[in-house]
Amino acid sequence: MSVNTNSLQLSDYLEKLPGTTFKRLYQQPSTAFAIFRRMLPHLAKTIVMAMLYMPTPFLISDLEIWVKPNSKRQKDQALATLRSLHIIQSAGPQSMTLTTNFRNSLRLALEGGGDHHSFGVPSTLPVPADVDLGFLDRYARKKWDDILHYVVNSVEYSDMREKDTGGGGPKASVKELLIAGRLVEKRSVATISITQAGFTFLLQEANSQVWTLLLLWLEAADANVERAGMDSVDMLSFLFLLASLELGRGYSTDALTEPRRNMLPYLVDFGLIYIPPHDHQQYFPTRLATTLTSSESSLRSVSAGFLAASEGGISDAGDKNAIILETNFRVYAYTSSPLQIAVLALFCELKMRFRELVSGKLSRQSIRKAVDMGITSDQIISYLATHAHEQMHRLAAAQKKPLLPPVIVDQIRLWQLDTERMSVCPGFLFKDFESVREYEDMANFAGEIGVLKWRNDRKGMFFTNKVEQIKDFMKNRRKAEQ
Amino acid sequence: MVRAVRGVLVECDPAIKSIIVNINSENNEYIIEDLDDSHLVVQENKVQQLKFLLDKRLKDTIMEPERDSDSDRDVKD
Repeated sequence: MSVNTNSLQLSDYLEKLPGTTFKRLYQQPSTAFAIFRRMLPHLAKTIVMAMLYMPTPFLISDLEIWVKPNSKRQKDQALATLRSLHIIQSAGPQSMTLTTNFRNSLRLALEGGGDHHSFGVPSTLPVPADVDLGFLDRYARKKWDDILHYVVNSVEYSDMREKDTGGGGPKASVKELLIAGRLVEKRSVATISITQAGFTFLLQEANSQVWTLLLLWLEAADANVERAGMDSVDMLSFLFLLASLELGRGYSTDALTEPRRNMLPYLVDFGLIYIPPHDHQQYFPTRLATTLTSSESSLRSVSAGFLAASEGGISDAGDKNAIILETNFRVYAYTSSPLQIAVLALFCELKMRFRELVSGKLSRQSIRKAVDMGITSDQIISYLATHAHEQMHRLAAAQKKPLLPPVIVDQIRLWQLDTERMSVCPGFLFKDFESVREYEDMANFAGEIGVLKWRNDRKGMFFTNKVEQIKDFMKNRRKAEQ
Repeated sequence: MVRAVRGVLVECDPAIKSIIVNINSENNEYIIEDLDDSHLVVQENKVQQLKFLLDKRLKDTIMEPERDSDSDRDVKD
């Protein structure tokens, strides 16, 4: 399944947008294509492809024939996703079509042709000799690592504030964004400290981190349109355009509209594009940009990049595997990377630090502290698993045992359960129905589109985490009754 | 007429629920609807405060296990 955590964030953002915004977004073939590629589950893609060249509206009864009865739930969820992204619309009571803009744009994207410049205009100028794939990767990594360093150095961890922060950190605009997005907090004039959201951000995969930051940026632009002079819809479609560009190729800045040219300096600050200092006529997307809408991972995981960076460049997959976890809750990490040590310090009691080795211990207190900061036990476990030392892999393979000692994994989970006395879910409680039938219809509908969290048939109440589609359903239902 | 009430669904075990009900009974400002043994709907803006009070109650009533001693210590101190 290509739909993972970062597209969830993006989909939350998209779902909040009004239908008119989607109409504008879908004017660009690159956007329609990116949304199709990135945001849809497989079944939804299949339905879209089937409908793409259909001359007449698609009968819902026909779709039902295609889908096995026991997969009705998946079908309904796929349709709900398509509706919330304004990809399909009803063409009558029992049929649906693709929205016009989306259909035309996706056709254009697949067939090629058209004069829309939606996939960027390659520059005809010669590519500077020093700009190659390796250079772009190093450049993007450096930029992004600066940002991560800034976030992690805000952890109150005095011996971490070392000289190897490298190059003064990110630009002021990026810092402002991190503060506005509450990834870090200003405690006093000079000191900042990381927040819960910041920790979650650190533990994410690079691609999700980029999206988190970009969405913060879009929201910031939305909040003060006059000052920034940027339109978030246009910005978003430009990001989708970037995602469709080819790595290592120069694109012409002249072909861009004025507002988009104004975005370039910010994108340079994020490390999404590179503009040669002596030549402002062309820009080069980096791997951070070109992997925005694909599910393949971009540069590297959090700490791997740091190890690679501190060891002077080209990343080597072997580097990142540094952690040994023993059955007595002790943790040893062969690393001297400030970031990796800081991340470990989030959920470990670090006891000793040597050159290239830190050792510590997992304890109830340390896990609780991490959970209180918003890190989940699964995040901790997966961090330990992805960064396990190769000796751990070897031992596990030889003894045919799981990679991490099960006793530790269970204990971490139990420690978290200990702190979670209650789970919360914001949403809406529906009650006071006029009839049992009305209640059942609506509760069943909520269940089918996957927003139902709790129901009690005896009390005639149910709880959902989203309300928009239920409102529509209620309206239609009332209309049908009249 | 159907009503949709904004709130936060809280899921917890019955013991915790009775503590929440007890907290609420002081001035009745948290719970919107008592659903069943393990579910409640509470005011959206009061959740953090409720969590804090719950943690406080639990700290007062539950004995935290002693910090386990480090028998095979690496350093002598």
